[in-house]
Amino acid sequence: MSFIKVDESSDFSYHNLPYGVFSTRDNPRHRIGVAIGDQILDLSVIKHLFNGPVLGQHQDVFDQPTLNAFMGLGYDAWREARKYVQMLLAANESTLRDDAHLRGRAFVDQSSAVMHLPAEIGDYTDFYSSKDHATNVGIMFRGKENALMPNWLRLPVGYHGRASSVIVSGTPIRRPQGQMRPDPTKPPVFGASKQLDVELEMAFFVGSGNKLGEPVPIEKAHEHIFGMVLMNDWSARDIQAWEYVPLGPFLGKNFGTTISPWVVPMEALTPFVEANAVQVCHQITLDHCTTQEHKKPLGSIYTCLIQWRKISQPSNNSSQHQEAVRLNPSNDIADPQPLPYLQHQDPYTFNINLFVSIKGEGMREAATICKSNFKYMYWTMKQQLAHHTVNGCNVRPGDLLASGTISGPDPESFGSMLELSWRGSKVIDLGGGESRTFLKDGDEVTITGYCEGRGYRVGFGQCQGKILPALQQ
Amino acid sequence: MSFIKVDESSDFSYHNLPYGVFSTRDNPRHRIGVAIGDQILDLSVIKHLFNGPVLGQHQDVFDQPTLNAFMGLGYDAWREARKYVQMLLAANESTLRDDAHLRGRAFVDQSSAVMHLPAEIGDYTDFYSSKDHATNVGIMFRGKENALMPNWLRLPVGYHGRASSVIVSGTPIRRPQGQMRPDPTKPPVFGASKQLDVELEMAFFVGSGNKLGEPVPIEKAHEHIFGMVLMNDWSARDIQAWEYVPLGPFLGKNFGTTISPWVVPMEALTPFVEANAVQDPQPLPYLQHQDPYTFNINLFVSIKGMCLKRYMYWTMKQQLAHHTVNGCNVRPGDLLASGTISGPDPESFGSMLELSWRGSKVIDLGGGESRTFLKDGDEVTITGYCEGRGYRVGFGQCQGKILPALQQ
Repeated sequence: MSFIKVDESSDFSYHNLPYGVFSTRDNPRHRIGVAIGDQILDLSVIKHLFNGPVLGQHQDVFDQPTLNAFMGLGYDAWREARKYVQMLLAANESTLRDDAHLRGRAFVDQSSAVMHLPAEIGDYTDFYSSKDHATNVGIMFRGKENALMPNWLRLPVGYHGRASSVIVSGTPIRRPQGQMRPDPTKPPVFGASKQLDVELEMAFFVGSGNKLGEPVPIEKAHEHIFGMVLMNDWSARDIQAWEYVPLGPFLGKNFGTTISPWVVPMEALTPFVEANAVQVCHQITLDHCTTQEHKKPLGSIYTCLIQWRKISQPSNNSSQHQEAVRLNPSNDIADPQPLPYLQHQDPYTFNINLFVSIKGEGMREAATICKSNFKYMYWTMKQQLAHHTVNGCNVRPGDLLASGTISGPDPESFGSMLELSWRGSKVIDLGGGESRTFLKDGDEVTITGYCEGRGYRVGFGQCQGKILPALQQ
Repeated sequence: MSFIKVDESSDFSYHNLPYGVFSTRDNPRHRIGVAIGDQILDLSVIKHLFNGPVLGQHQDVFDQPTLNAFMGLGYDAWREARKYVQMLLAANESTLRDDAHLRGRAFVDQSSAVMHLPAEIGDYTDFYSSKDHATNVGIMFRGKENALMPNWLRLPVGYHGRASSVIVSGTPIRRPQGQMRPDPTKPPVFGASKQLDVELEMAFFVGSGNKLGEPVPIEKAHEHIFGMVLMNDWSARDIQAWEYVPLGPFLGKNFGTTISPWVVPMEALTPFVEANAVQDPQPLPYLQHQDPYTFNINLFVSIKGMCLKRYMYWTMKQQLAHHTVNGCNVRPGDLLASGTISGPDPESFGSMLELSWRGSKVIDLGGGESRTFLKDGDEVTITGYCEGRGYRVGFGQCQGKILPALQQ
């Protein structure tokens, strides 16, 4: 499809075309590029070729050291840019392909490039939108009865994270020191965290913002969502547990948050969209489903057309004729339908395979500890963005909104060591005699992910970090 | 003391010399100034006069549209700048005083200036460091037994706020809409907040930062603390109450946070320092410092006039040392706020939540007006100053007016 050769297993197929910021030894200037195969197309070299109706007046956005200006041009600019990049890379397009001088300047080997943070991040928000993760954590800390807080199913719970410590893949993470209270009968202590953990997440960049006081309606949310990266929201569980009541996580999180460098545009993910998690208003059990005129299994989701019947629990709304019921192993309770400002019918959940691996010091190979998928999310990115701005809060180009730890229903899909080791009660086997409950100094954690197409992939590169020992005191 | 006349009751005495960013109608460029009396000294016009050992090589910081570059030069640069400004404004110094042309260009009436956010704020952190406030809120929501959480007396509790919605005094605040659950036996509802509140706070700007992974030791914290402003951390209590468990306040706060425009340098506050709160239990060593770093600043909120000493349990040094102890990196322009400031007397409570005791009694505004929470059209003004002998070191205004919620 492109005159640049791309391996079938490469993350950076012609169908991807993610944006990133890079520099090289001979040219240390931070500049914008597009990944293709094992190459980078340097947009600053070819900016004069973007002469469409939107970008023609704004070619300088590709001279910037970050993506913010380009993102801020808005939805039509991103679509136009993608068209132009696709055209310029096409196997049958000669503009770049046959201009040896331009082509030589425009392409850089990924292996000789250093990647940087792709945007200036004004604010970073972390959501908590995986139902399995929130439930696991709730069970561990509050018991099965009170696993999910009452608000969890009603709004996408989130909190402000620290923007200054969002770092690009490859940056080492120093084990944090802090205050902890391992024994509640004794005073708190100070020292290096003993419960350093990973959190498998994905995050999206806000492309265009909104004015303070003017919410983004959910039907317009997609116009503000630029693209996605992988994230590791490193966490110090002992520091977090002692500090977080009542104002939320703080130093247990803000010592470092790693993201992958290549921002995959939403257009590249569209072929991998799936139906959203079902969020409906009735509590119903399968044996009260009287009329099964239309039953369509979709994973663990069944859709049936029934006459609404109120069961035992008081239910919110009036009757409906079509219901979707989410069944899970532990109970048959369907999830409440969110308020109108959070509702959207179009699918915006994506099938993205995700992997977490650990390579300890002395290990010859990394061991995969988690295989998960972005499709497990309960709240969509549109719902998160609409919720975030419904009170008038203003988002800006470059803002980063993360999903929260991604866990699926199976233990091998749990996205944190807290869950994989079930709060340290069992070990995570790394093979070759190695095992973990939490991270050790020297551990290198790598998160990868890709969408599987037919004969190609749309992938995210690497989100990696290595643990350095805590500072000596 | 200065050749510029300053009224005894002016916030901007010769002892203050706060920094701000302003523009004028005839020159809309954002530039750095120092307030003196009812004037602004435009530093971009006189930057060539800063030829000391530190600033001489960096005069361009006074050409910037924000204070970040100047703050980032560090502690010695701030001290040197203050010396030079004091010298140039001194009654017996002729450089500015007698150069009519330069003087005409260098001074602007405050009344003809528009003030802007003084810095680009990379991160905004809100602490919770008033013991009376935390106790009041705890009593209201958890009962007297469990008023203060076990961690409150052990570490300065804080959370990340939203940087994008920190706005300068004078910017209107639109009543937020959001999700609330006034009746726990019914499903949540959507609508305009009915419990819009104020929070009297102060905040400091980080001047110089630290590298990721390298904490700021408490004995060096003062080298990173540039100066202070007033803050109103507007809050929607109903939105906040429904969302905040377990990850903290979010939309109940981030629809707007107002700060006053003039950043008072720590050196101007030094004469008003007082002993720190006695801390019991004694905090861990990384949080201990003996030198006083608590400041006597009178604060007023116009909704209900009150006078309260700034008497926080945790000092700004402790907050900064705690914030970076895990390696978190702060940067020039970061804003760290104190949390709602309340004193022991009901007169001195810093929020309507406390003044009305969760809506159980009205706040009398006089003239037949009363409130539990804010109404559309209410204008809230926070002011503050340190009282010297025959002069004040004050903060100007931190003001906002409530606009009605958007129609749906």
